[in-house]
Amino acid sequence: MQSPAFLTISDLWIERGERVLCKGLNFNVSVGEIVRVLGDNGAGKSSLLKVIAGVIPSLEGCIYYFGQDITQDHSRLQQDTLYIGHLSGVKNMLTVEENLRWHCPDVTTDKLHSTLSILGLLPLLSTSIKSLSAGQVRRVALSRLWIQRKKLWLLDEPFVSLDAEGVAILESHMKQHVVAGGVVILTTHQALTSIHSRDIDLLS
Amino acid sequence: MTYTSFLKSECLVLWRRKYDIFNALLFFIMVVVLFPLGVNASPEFLAPAAGGIIWCAAVLAILMSIESMFKEDYSDGSLEQLVVSGLSLPLLVLIKISLQWVAVIFPLLVMMPLLSEMLYLSSGIFWVLVVTLIIGTPSLFLIGAIGSALTVSIKQGGVLLMLLILPFYLPVIIFATSAIQTAQSGLPYSGLLALLLAISLLFLVVSPFMTAISIKASVN
Repeated sequence: MQSPAFLTISDLWIERGERVLCKGLNFNVSVGEIVRVLGDNGAGKSSLLKVIAGVIPSLEGCIYYFGQDITQDHSRLQQDTLYIGHLSGVKNMLTVEENLRWHCPDVTTDKLHSTLSILGLLPLLSTSIKSLSAGQVRRVALSRLWIQRKKLWLLDEPFVSLDAEGVAILESHMKQHVVAGGVVILTTHQALTSIHSRDIDLLS
Repeated sequence: MTYTSFLKSECLVLWRRKYDIFNALLFFIMVVVLFPLGVNASPEFLAPAAGGIIWCAAVLAILMSIESMFKEDYSDGSLEQLVVSGLSLPLLVLIKISLQWVAVIFPLLVMMPLLSEMLYLSSGIFWVLVVTLIIGTPSLFLIGAIGSALTVSIKQGGVLLMLLILPFYLPVIIFATSAIQTAQSGLPYSGLLALLLAISLLFLVVSPFMTAISIKASVN
């Protein structure tokens, strides 16, 4: 028997407001894959990621994680998932270090410093988020990808407000992640330059 | 994210935003100070009215601090992160509410001896007032958190929040002030305290779950 796929979306319907966004969406995601969700503005890309992450409920359909139905109770998938949405989830009132320690309290100082130096944030370690630029805040949010070890990454427009260097760093990190057996599902309008992805088109 | 790291970050945020709480407390003091000036400063009037004045001012101050409880978390996406963290959302909510309660009520209690002296409250009644505040105000925060989570995604949610939660505040105010008045007339008041405590305990059970549901509806 074939082993179940990492993530199976079967007959998924998503509704926002009064509008139905996905009608009977089906796809499989296997280990080591980068899946790019495509679609026009308002086609439901972010909603799809939110449904997988368990932020919003689906109208109908099932989500299977290694063959196990998690549509009702997302907690099993959530333990292995890192979701970074449009909103960064970074608290304005805290410094860079405090923010990261909030998300991952067990990170060692070495790991924290090495991650931040990859992303060029080390000098800003104890700077308050308030005084950072949009791109820097995005980098702080994304640094969780280095610190937290989760199998599934759900990234909603991760490249927004990143500079060319930031995009390159993130792409190479995604590549490493899938080589190590991780899975990335992302939405972006930007073409991925250095990595190969499987595209799923949400037709509006 | 773990429960402890959440607790730590919430403490830090509260500490950095201490001026908001300070504002609410200043408002509380102003109401209590201005009331005698505006109405009547004689002990014959103030002593019986003291419990009511302090309680009404405290409710207004709590309303002020509760309105913005989830605002910032909502706009920066931390609320979304709490939902997807895989931790129990009701428990996280309860941690947040408890911290907020301690942060507002502790300084309020510290100021209480001074204020009750100003309002000619006798020392025996002072302790009744303190007890009503300690066992009564948790319900105000727990009820307020439900409303705050429900209205967090609405731009001008303040008015709606008031309309939603004020009816639930009324019994708490009535039982608390009548406990103080009953004590002042020398009658047994423990039944009223028990009712206050019952309301708080009821909402301690109900509110975290209802707030969690409201949060999920708001981040939707």
